[in-house]
This record gives sequence, structure tokens and C-alpha cells, in this order.
Amino acid sequence: MCGIHELTEKDLQPLSYTPAYLDKIKGMRFFDPHVHMTSRTTDDYQAMADAGIVALIEPAFWLGQPRTGVDTFRDYFNSLLGWERFRASQFGIKHYCTIGLNSKEANNEKLAEAVMEILPQFIYKEGVVGVGEIGFDDQTALEEKYYRAQLELAKEAGLPVQIHTPHRDKKKGTQRSMDIAIEHGLPPHMVIVDHNNEETVKEVLDRGFWAAFTIYPFTKMGNERMVAVVKQYGSERIMVNSAADWGISDPLAVPKTAALMHESGIDLNDIHSVTYMNAVKAFAQSGQINESDFELAGNIDQSERFNGSTVLRGGQQPRINKNTTIIR
Amino acid sequence: MAEYVYDQQKMSNGLEAIIASNSSNTAREWLQQRLQKAASIPQFNQTFTAIPRFTGKNIISVTSEQAAVLQQDVPGFFVHGWTLDRLVRVWWLLQLNISTKTIYIDTVEQLFNAAEMNELAALYSALPLLAFPEAWKLRTAEGIRSNIGIVQEAIMLHNPYPAKYLDEPAWNQLVMKAIFTDKPLHRISGLDERRNIALAAILTDFAHERWAAGRKVDPMQWRLLTPFINNENLPDITRVWHSADQTEKAAAALVCAGSDYLPAQQLLASNLTLATEIQDGALTWDVIATKLSQ
Repeated sequence: MCGIHELTEKDLQPLSYTPAYLDKIKGMRFFDPHVHMTSRTTDDYQAMADAGIVALIEPAFWLGQPRTGVDTFRDYFNSLLGWERFRASQFGIKHYCTIGLNSKEANNEKLAEAVMEILPQFIYKEGVVGVGEIGFDDQTALEEKYYRAQLELAKEAGLPVQIHTPHRDKKKGTQRSMDIAIEHGLPPHMVIVDHNNEETVKEVLDRGFWAAFTIYPFTKMGNERMVAVVKQYGSERIMVNSAADWGISDPLAVPKTAALMHESGIDLNDIHSVTYMNAVKAFAQSGQINESDFELAGNIDQSERFNGSTVLRGGQQPRINKNTTIIR
Repeated sequence: MAEYVYDQQKMSNGLEAIIASNSSNTAREWLQQRLQKAASIPQFNQTFTAIPRFTGKNIISVTSEQAAVLQQDVPGFFVHGWTLDRLVRVWWLLQLNISTKTIYIDTVEQLFNAAEMNELAALYSALPLLAFPEAWKLRTAEGIRSNIGIVQEAIMLHNPYPAKYLDEPAWNQLVMKAIFTDKPLHRISGLDERRNIALAAILTDFAHERWAAGRKVDPMQWRLLTPFINNENLPDITRVWHSADQTEKAAAALVCAGSDYLPAQQLLASNLTLATEIQDGALTWDVIATKLSQ
């Protein structure tokens, strides 16, 4: 079937109904270690909080078109540490980020040099849990140059590295990324290799690296395939993320995958490892993650006051009932 | 332009005493080590950023003696409820060399440009202590536009800098933004001293908009109208006076009590109970503030 099908009553139901999969994961908590919230709406934050996501990591990445100056990089980094973190907090979600020069923009050498100069100002900031996402896109010489330079920065700062692996020639790109990390003296436990698939997972795990999987429709992993991977490889050093961004993607990929795993009979402990605990362990090596902070972030009841003050600061409005046609 | 407009050494020592009674040995040793390198700007910046990693973020406790030292030096400067990392960052800013004005200003500006939320809160909290105070007016006006609650509060609440240095439009913007974002107005330093006729007009317009939309008006905002009650805005105060909400009525009574305008005084005289409560000091703006925060 393709094309536009006829609308039915079901299609016209309000979007705020409770989908069946939420029942399967009731009470579970999730950590999405890779999601680009800058490109998402507050509705996404609400849905993520409702689905049990308590914390997330927003890696610095490409905005969909190249930036033309270092100032826009600075502003972008600032927004990851500032406004975006605050916005997440208003929905009870703890927001962390990784900071880096992405591989696509590493190919603009003049700009890349300028970005490298400001990176040390950012990677030591509170809540920066790694250098990322860095690595290869086209696997050019310039990409390699700035990948290496950023590995050095991470090593000096004692921060984990979050590696983006290329879409094209992925297997070779993944191997090269790991080889170079080792060459620069980064131990595999400090490196999270992202966007794995069935072709790359074995080597990544065998060599002792963290293997992250992005559940992203059409281009990366599907979650049925993810279930099969966990069944085959178990849950050690494997983690799941959404990498949701400005493309066709799903910020609920982690809880949905957990629900599917549950349905497929995967043990709850394994689900907990790949959708929460492994990401916490890997990125807590930065010294910047404290699980008790998730509790604090989650304690927000927007209708209540704390010490006589409402949490609805900064123009934030309380959550509204979307099932009514009246807007006040 | 003045460098420090207060006794910088006294303030630095005062802050150090509070840091000493709220921090661990390791944190203090680390700060001492970092002091040796404070002359290098990159090292200065790195320390500023790294402070919470070494000090933690506990809420500080301040004795009344400690608070009095700060108050004597810079009236209105207030550290109650701060986290230790914010306090240490503010103290750290006092260790920056001021001998070359351009370098000093540029360094602080760069810290603002690369700051995350907690750093911004610390930087704005430090405004009353920064050298060359005139230099931070634009930055403060910019900060008022922030959407982030803790940053807004660092500028607006218990901070004597804005009332002292902002020009009237920027000051009015600060007060309006505080009202828009539900801040406790009575905690704005200089609120009464900087009342002005333009702000009074903006506030009555704003009240009309709220009423048209069927929304409430913060009773505290009428306080700003007190010296400017006239025949044009008396109907607004009369409307508040007739409100079913007792806090609103009490606010209207306080405005009338503070006004020289005869019809306003007559309005107050029509309710002996309220008039007496105000006279006896049982009803004040602080009483209203407490009611509003409950």
C-alpha cells in the first residue's frame, strides 16, 4: 500500500491518548544518550517525560546546513548548555551534552581551526559528559585531522568520546575510528561508538568499546532488528538511543524499543542495561553524571510551589489539557 | 570611571570567611593552588568554569555577622540561599587583575559570552561587585531578556546593581519582565525608590489588558502606582478596592494610604478597619508579599 489512505475516525483521535506500549514499560526509567533536542518541540519533552525518560545527552552536531562562522558555533554550544538544558528541566528531564566539532564541518578548515580554539572553553563546563559527536563522515584527511585533535582534547580533559560513524563505507569508517582512538591512547572503555548495525557490532564489542545503536527509521536501526541484536549479543556495553533530530525520527525510540524488547521476552535487567544503565556508566566516567540528579529533576510538579516559589519561572506555562478545544 | 566603588579587600575577605565555613579542606586547597595561576587569563577562565567540580553545590549558610560585613561594604548585596559554587565564582571574579581596564572588561565579557546557566547566574549576581560598574549596563539590559529563570532572578532579585545603574527604560523593562514571569516583586532591590510615572502608565495599560483577557493582576504591582495616583488611574485603584479578593483590596488600601491625592485618601477613609490596620502597621506590603507566596 502506498499514498494517502482515507482518514478514519481513529486517525482523527487526539494525539494525547495513551498508546498501548506505555503500559508495557510503566514504572521503567530511560536514558536517551543521543538526541538533538534543539530540533524538537516541547511536545516531545512532554511525551518523553510521560514515557519514562529521566535524562538525556544532546551531542553537538550539524544543524542541517553548514555554519558560516565561529560565533554561530559558540551560540549553539551555549544553547546546549543553557536554554535547552533549562527547557528540559521544565519537564523534569536532566539534560547533559557532549561538545565537539562534527565531521561534516571539519572539512571547512578555516572554520574548523576557529572552532578548535573555542572548544577548551566549553568541554570543562558543568554537565558536559564527553567530547562528541566526532569522527568521520566522508572520511577525508581534514576529518581525520580534527578527529585526532579532539581525541587529544578529550584525553587531556579525562572525558569520554562519543563517535559518530559514517553512513557510507560504515564498516571501514568504524574500524578506522577505533584504530585512531587507540593510537591516541584512549582506552576503549572511554569511547562510545555510535550508530552501529549488525555489521559493526561484533568487532566493536570484541575490542572492548561501548556499542551504541541508533533507532532511526529508514536510515539506521529498526527496533525489531535491535531486539535481535540484544538476543544475540546480550546487554553488556550495548546502549540504545534515538538520535532524534530535524529529520524523520522518533524521540520515543528508546522507550518504544524497551517495550518491544519486553514483548519479545528479553529479561528486564537486560532492558534496563541497554536503555538506561550502560549509558549512565559510560558517560559517568566524565565525573559529571550523578543519578540522584535525575530524581531532583523529576521532582517537578508544575502545579505546586517549592519554598513559596512556583517552578514556573522564565515565562514557562503550566502543562495544559490538550483534549479540550477551548484555549485559555 | 571608577574602578571598585567599594572596599574590594574587605568584600573579598568577607566572602572568603563564608567560603571557609562552608567548604571542605580539599576545595580550599584547590582554590589556593588556583590563586597562584590567576594572573593567566586562560587559567583564570578555566578555574571559573571548573569551580563546582571542586566546591560542590550545597546551599551555603551565612551567619548574621558574616552577612553584615557584606552589607556594610555594599548595601543591598545579598548571598542568602546561594549555592557554594556561585559564591566561590563571585569571589573568584574579585581576584581578577583590574590594572588594565580593557583587558579586565574583555575578560569578563568573554566569560559572559561562553557562560552556561549557572555561570551566568554567578556573573549577574556579581554585578554589584564588578570593577568599572558603568561598563555593565548594556550587559545587564541584555540579561533581562533571558528566558532562563535562575538567570533572570540573579539580576532581578536582591541585586542592588540594576536600581543603581540602569537607565529608566531598562529599569522599567526589568520590572515588567519580573511581572510577566511571576517573580516576587518585593524582592527587587530599589523597587520603591525607582518608581516612575512612565512605569505607572505601562502598568495600568497592562492591567487593562489582563482584565480584558479575564486574567488576574498581581496585587503587588499597584505598589508602584502609589505616588502617581491621579484622576486618570483612580478608577483602576477603585476597581481593585472593590475586588472580592481580600489581598487585592488590601493592596488598593495601601496604595491609597501612601497617596497625597485627596480622593484616594477619601476612599481609604471609607473603610475604617483597613485604615486602622495600616496605621497600626498590621497591614504592610510585606504582609501582602507573605500572603502572595503562600
